[in-house]
Amino acid sequence: MEMSIWLFLGLLVACSTGVRMQALGSLVQRAIVAGALAAGFLVFLALGVGVAAGLLGVLLAAVVANLLTGEYVPQRYRIALAVAVAVVFFLAAPWLLENFRLFQFSRIAIWVIVAVGLNILTGYNGQISLGHGAFVLIGAYTSAILMDDQQQLGFVDANAWPFWTTIIAAAVVCGIAGFALGIPALRLSGPYLAIATLALVISLPSILRKYDGLTGGAQGLFVKQPPPPPGLAGVLERDEWLYLLCVGVAIVMTLIAWGILRGPLGRAFVAVRDSEVAAAAMGINVARVKIAAFSISALYAGVAGALLTQLLGVVTPESVDLIVSINFLTAIVIGGLASLLGSVIGAFVLVLLPSVGPDVLDSVPLFPGDFARKAPGAIQGAVVILVVLLMPFGVAGSYHRLIATPPGRIIEAVRGVPAGIRARVARTKEDIVWAWEDSPFYRRASKSKAGEERDV
Amino acid sequence: MIEVFLAPAPWNDLPLFGEQVISGLATGSIYALLALAIVLIYRSTDVVNFAQGEMAMLVTFSMWSLTLAGFPPWTVIFIGIALGFALGAFVERTIIRPVEDKPPLNVVVVTLGLFVLLNSIATWIWAQGELPKVFPTPFGFTSVDVGLARVSTHSIGILVVALIVMSVLYLLFNHTKLGLGMRATAHNPGASRLMGINVGRMLMLGWGLAGAVGAVAGMLVAPITFLFPGFMLAVLLYAFAAAVFGGLDSPPGAIVGGLVVGVAENLFGTYTPGDIFGPEMKLPLTLLLLVIVLMFRPQGLFGHVETRRV
Repeated sequence: MEMSIWLFLGLLVACSTGVRMQALGSLVQRAIVAGALAAGFLVFLALGVGVAAGLLGVLLAAVVANLLTGEYVPQRYRIALAVAVAVVFFLAAPWLLENFRLFQFSRIAIWVIVAVGLNILTGYNGQISLGHGAFVLIGAYTSAILMDDQQQLGFVDANAWPFWTTIIAAAVVCGIAGFALGIPALRLSGPYLAIATLALVISLPSILRKYDGLTGGAQGLFVKQPPPPPGLAGVLERDEWLYLLCVGVAIVMTLIAWGILRGPLGRAFVAVRDSEVAAAAMGINVARVKIAAFSISALYAGVAGALLTQLLGVVTPESVDLIVSINFLTAIVIGGLASLLGSVIGAFVLVLLPSVGPDVLDSVPLFPGDFARKAPGAIQGAVVILVVLLMPFGVAGSYHRLIATPPGRIIEAVRGVPAGIRARVARTKEDIVWAWEDSPFYRRASKSKAGEERDV
Repeated sequence: MIEVFLAPAPWNDLPLFGEQVISGLATGSIYALLALAIVLIYRSTDVVNFAQGEMAMLVTFSMWSLTLAGFPPWTVIFIGIALGFALGAFVERTIIRPVEDKPPLNVVVVTLGLFVLLNSIATWIWAQGELPKVFPTPFGFTSVDVGLARVSTHSIGILVVALIVMSVLYLLFNHTKLGLGMRATAHNPGASRLMGINVGRMLMLGWGLAGAVGAVAGMLVAPITFLFPGFMLAVLLYAFAAAVFGGLDSPPGAIVGGLVVGVAENLFGTYTPGDIFGPEMKLPLTLLLLVIVLMFRPQGLFGHVETRRV
């Protein structure tokens, strides 16, 4: 990836982490440690190890920043600083990034909107949906149909709607669709709801293909991508304008979600998730709150869908397939449930992992990077499983835990790792011995031990 | 007369109807087997295993390779079942056990991750040559007259195999001490542990059994759909529909659900007005049926209502 992205990530992480470092002695001592680390990093970079070096650089920036400023800059300034860095980077990105990278970032912005919406439903309200791809698709089609000027569809308005009105229309349509789906969802829980929503996202493409008079059928609908507004026509190219549009909408939608979640409705979402009975006892209308969560969440997906139509210029029944839809859920679990930061991280992982993952593995010595290229999903699947195993509350959860932990305890934990691994290996060995001793083969060999109960 | 049906009405063309029903029962029993695997796992570990189909897919591909290497068919089948068992037990032991006490959503996501992982591994290993690959059936595809309709020997073979698998599972669960232990574990792990049952091993065994049953479903469906990395996806969806239809915690429900879904799929494909629905809408219609059933019985037809303590 380009240097600018690494710089940005390094700055972001450096600004936002603030582990107190009293354990590591005076400022001079720390400066020496930081210098040694930086020198090591430069050697590493000189060896030319690519993406891995970049990732190390990001970590290094965080460590160095911590070593130097750890106990002097309070957390709230760090957050403000990190947000400022992010805003500046995203606004400057059209001039910093290559075109394909810019396109990826537009996509990330769109997925952020979906992830924030899905997190409202799943993370804050506890209703699982595997079918958010369906709402994205409905939003995308709403926008495409309204922007058509009878070139492809017979029944529409001869004057194409301006693109921004179709985004609002998509939001409204999906909000209503979410409302309609939220009512039957009231009766379903856990796995039943997951499978019912899965059914929705699987059925939708067949339905879109079947009723081609309304939707353009299997080949989909083409859309004239909106040009930059008149005032900016000379300054921005269309891709850059679309990028800024996506990022702008994503920021606004995230801020709105932040507002909702801090307010009475957000509190009600969480209360209903934690205990419906207790929430009802506090005077919350549980049904209404759950339907509201579904509706708001679908509205977010609708806005994202409309933006996706603008970005791609075409929408087909396969634009958002089952895998993408499932990925929305995995993204917020990786990023962190019930966390807006987690939604953003999840969207980044979702888009960048397939394209950056193989590069990272390539730069690992002795690892067959070829495997990663031929089976891109393997990295993703492995990362999903590892993140859930190692960080049960997602990346955002681990981040919050990390900055809240005193450094002494972190050092203790790191020191405890080898002992933990030894204990785990010993336990596994014992398990294998037990399994063998309890097996019929062993029993046949030595009757005396059979029936002895060792499992606790 | 308005052309309502795509095909001649059932009362005008009984053989066609019979054919649709019997082949529906055959595919339905495949769905039933996979649904049974899903239910076995859900009952014992409370996990909806989204990777069930991909586990079966991986095993079926391995069997294809074994066949190509010249192993005799029955050997391949037994190796396949053993592989399915081993894969299921391995996955439970290494991937599911560590997340068992985590929030349920995390477990769902782990199985989704496994789904993607297994799918890519299969793509990496087997999708280099031409796809889809032809998978042999020991039963052949000649059609036989069974009184009412002509059906292929493979369909009959599916029905027989499914019946055998279900009987074996029934005998295992209801007439052996091991089965009793597994049922006890599913019912109440804590109490079972106190009674001296090795709960961990029972769970592993449950996953292994589910893996083996899934592998059987995979090898039965592969001759019809042919073999490619996504071939179990459609089957998995119908199996989910079947499992949910019957109730996720009820094995008889899974079987009834599978058969109903299989027959409904065929009838929706044949006897719906082509202008509005037709064959390409059979999946949405079947899933719609599922959602309607769920509206009236959110726990499925045979599922148990979970009583909640206030």
